[in-house]
Amino acid sequence: MKDTRNPPEIEIARLGKVFGTGAAAFRALSDIDLTIAQGEFFTLLGPSGCGKTTLLRVIAGFEQPSDGSLRINGQEVAGKGPNARPVNTVFQNYALFPHMSVAQNIGFGLKMLGRAKSEIDATVDEMLALVQMAHLADRKPAEISGGQQQRVALARALAPRPRVLLLDEPLSALDLKLRKGMQSELKRLQGETGITFVFVTHDQEEALTMSDRIAVMSDGRILQTGTPHEIYHAPRERFVADFIGDTNFLQVEVAEADGTAAQVTLPGGARHLARLPAGLRPGAGARVTVVIRPEQAQLVAPGQGVLAATVERSVFFGTDTHVHLVLDGGTPFVLRRQNSGALPEPAPGSTVGLTLAEGALQVVGD
Amino acid sequence: MAEASARYAPAAEKPRPRVRNFDVRRLPGFGAVAIFTFVMLYAPILILVVFSFNAAPSQATWGGFSLQWYEAAFNNRQVREVSIRSLWLALVASGIATTVATLAALGTTRVRRFPGQTMIYALINQPLMVPEIVTGVALLIFFAAIKVQTGYTGMGYLVAAHTAFCIPFAYLPIRARLETMDITLERAAADLYASPFQAFRHVTLPLLVPGIMAGFMLGFVISLDAVVITEFVKSAGQDTLPTYMLGQLRRNITPEMNAIATLFLALSLCIVTAFFLLTRKRG
Repeated sequence: MKDTRNPPEIEIARLGKVFGTGAAAFRALSDIDLTIAQGEFFTLLGPSGCGKTTLLRVIAGFEQPSDGSLRINGQEVAGKGPNARPVNTVFQNYALFPHMSVAQNIGFGLKMLGRAKSEIDATVDEMLALVQMAHLADRKPAEISGGQQQRVALARALAPRPRVLLLDEPLSALDLKLRKGMQSELKRLQGETGITFVFVTHDQEEALTMSDRIAVMSDGRILQTGTPHEIYHAPRERFVADFIGDTNFLQVEVAEADGTAAQVTLPGGARHLARLPAGLRPGAGARVTVVIRPEQAQLVAPGQGVLAATVERSVFFGTDTHVHLVLDGGTPFVLRRQNSGALPEPAPGSTVGLTLAEGALQVVGD
Repeated sequence: MAEASARYAPAAEKPRPRVRNFDVRRLPGFGAVAIFTFVMLYAPILILVVFSFNAAPSQATWGGFSLQWYEAAFNNRQVREVSIRSLWLALVASGIATTVATLAALGTTRVRRFPGQTMIYALINQPLMVPEIVTGVALLIFFAAIKVQTGYTGMGYLVAAHTAFCIPFAYLPIRARLETMDITLERAAADLYASPFQAFRHVTLPLLVPGIMAGFMLGFVISLDAVVITEFVKSAGQDTLPTYMLGQLRRNITPEMNAIATLFLALSLCIVTAFFLLTRKRG
């Protein structure tokens, strides 16, 4: 993991945030413990209302934490205002100053820091080149497109060379094609500048493709922190598995378990190895939930494989086809097949068998 | 299936003409009422303007075109004096009122909501709600007491009265502008290392200028026009243009008054036009 290689940039310990007082009090963040390494692309992922934006605003200094500590580059910043933190934000609506030109917007931070005009001009030129906006330097924000405004917002936040760049769903206002372009643009900018990025999104695909590590949040808590691979393949909780990607849930019985894995009995009686999340040690005979990703099951002839199912329907997605099944016992199951060969689509109503990939089963807590 | 039939059913029974939205223009007599209203609004003003160019000293018979009443007005020392006093008073009062209103608007929109905030709105807008005559009488009595105590009889009373009267008119457009302004712009400024004052100076204030200008001009016109309050508050020799005209009209009505009123009208129109242009631009 990155935070063991690089020194920590942001250290958050037992941080909480309560809005309002008395009966109207609302706890937006609880017990946030988080360490983000220098130079990391870190994503806060969760549904709307999970507290990810509040956490970002606490890091930025727009909100003060109710309790706990927040250190940036080793310095406690809880209680300090946003203008006293080495952190800049790319706002969801960009928040470009409408009365200033593109160049003036980009130079604003350096101007407020009292830098010399020659230095400001040089940095603004450099930033304009970095985001390929040099030809529009004298335009007002209202005179450029949404994608261009996005670039200006990025350049403005990067110009003062902050230690940390906070990005609050910066791509959500862009159409799909522009968004894909900006995703790789962001990765390029991060690589070139070496600045720590903290990225907020509710888009799990965006989080998986861009991040070094992801923290999945729900109800003001961090449920799991890990690499995209860990989050996808080894979710610790049902919510995490459900939120990231398409997922099948299956109730199984534990036959025997050691520290990291368990033999479980599938509906229908077949045995299969399942991985256990850290801290979960079910005993033999316990009922647990396992997660199976749709691409980790394969169709085989009826009577073969470890599960038996009936085909309900197939949905064609171009690159692949989703086959909706009902397992014997009534549990719905979705399977994904790549359309690489001319595989015949299974007929609705036909019975099939399923095999599962070796590491397909992951036990999750409920 | 149920969903599909529900969606198509209304379309099937639609040979009836579409129900049109209520439109006041289709009511019988709308045209007549509209014309009558516009005539009543603008005919008197038109007549006033036309007769300001009358060669004959009459408000009823036309005696040919002449600029003599404008000449008379310009040559009338008293008219010049009260005009300058009116403009000076309007400038000073709306200037102070705009400053106060800007601070009040900031204090009621850029702070955490506090108990009694609605009450503060009401207090600021008092002149809009209390009849002018009541304010006039109250100020007369209040200022009389101060005059007795201090002996001061200068323009301060008129400035104070006009300022208080102008504040809500300046406050409303400024507050409206602040409320529609994106608060994240100020956050962005703070995020980019601006101190609260720098954020105000470089972001809030420039974006607020159209609102402030609009507030100033509204206040200016209101002060220029304030006759009731001025009549009650003014000391001897402190006539403003409206109170002077009122005094003159009690004696004899000459087209000189028409000429003054027409100039007054032209000035007001200029200011109101500027107000519209300013609020539409960047609005």
